[in-house]
Amino acid sequence: MTEATMSHAASSPHTPQVFEESPFSIPSKKLAMWLFIMSDIMTLAACFAAYAFLRNSTPDWPRPFHSVTIVAVMTFLMLTTCLTMLIGLQAAQAGDKAGAFRWIMVTGAGGLVFALLHIREWMQMMAEGVGMFHNPWGTSAFGAAYYIITGFSLLHIGVGSIALLIVGIRYQGGRYKANDIEIMNLYWQFVTLAWLFIVPAVYLMNMAR
Amino acid sequence: MTTAQTQGIKKYVVVYLALVVLTAVQFFVGYQNLEGGALIVRMLTFGGIETVLVVLFLMNLSTEKRSFFNFFVFFMLFVLTTMNIIWTDSFRLLVFRLTNTGPS
Repeated sequence: MTEATMSHAASSPHTPQVFEESPFSIPSKKLAMWLFIMSDIMTLAACFAAYAFLRNSTPDWPRPFHSVTIVAVMTFLMLTTCLTMLIGLQAAQAGDKAGAFRWIMVTGAGGLVFALLHIREWMQMMAEGVGMFHNPWGTSAFGAAYYIITGFSLLHIGVGSIALLIVGIRYQGGRYKANDIEIMNLYWQFVTLAWLFIVPAVYLMNMAR
Repeated sequence: MTTAQTQGIKKYVVVYLALVVLTAVQFFVGYQNLEGGALIVRMLTFGGIETVLVVLFLMNLSTEKRSFFNFFVFFMLFVLTTMNIIWTDSFRLLVFRLTNTGPS
């Protein structure tokens, strides 16, 4: 087909339009979420690169964490919400609306509990005198790095939990479909994975000796 | 619950248990007071395995079309690798630290 005939076919209302076949064969909403996740990975990676730079170039980097029990509980909670999210997705794909709604709500509630524990962790750090630009132990950059990297997770999980509750309610109301739950699942698994990198970088590598 | 659903959930439970075990080992290693390099290598190894499990099986990238899989994996590996150029400069800063007493 020449360029002129293709142009004619595309503009005529009576003939089917000629489009290039999608190389990925993936629904547009899902592709948008994957692209968002890719850009978010880059944001997190930039934060980690800056953190690694500061951490490696600072001899008196603080190691303030004596116990990370609460962080371990938070991690276990997030991993468990990954599973509940997937059970909800499976139920949605099987047409079990009530089951899907229940598991999505459990996941959203788990995320909110995580966010509350996270805020509690921040409050404890603030009570110990850790601010964005000062702390009692060493280099001032520690506070900024700590709050920015863990804040990335808190923001994503907090917003994600609220979004989950909204999507769950709208799914039950018939406005959203199983595809939308699948897209939320992608986001939720990603924020959990991000947390699995934040824990060792921020907490486990800064354990007090 | 259908058989297909049960099979799917079984797969997710296995991956979930693997992630819980890996994370528990990570915490155990964190308490061992290892030196910087050894600790980083171990943590990155665990992180890498966790990433593969989550992305392939929980985000179901393994079931997507091959072209999308390749696009995601190669693009991300390239970007994340090149981004690591930045922090290596910190070694220079560590050795040739700027001081308050500059050249007179």
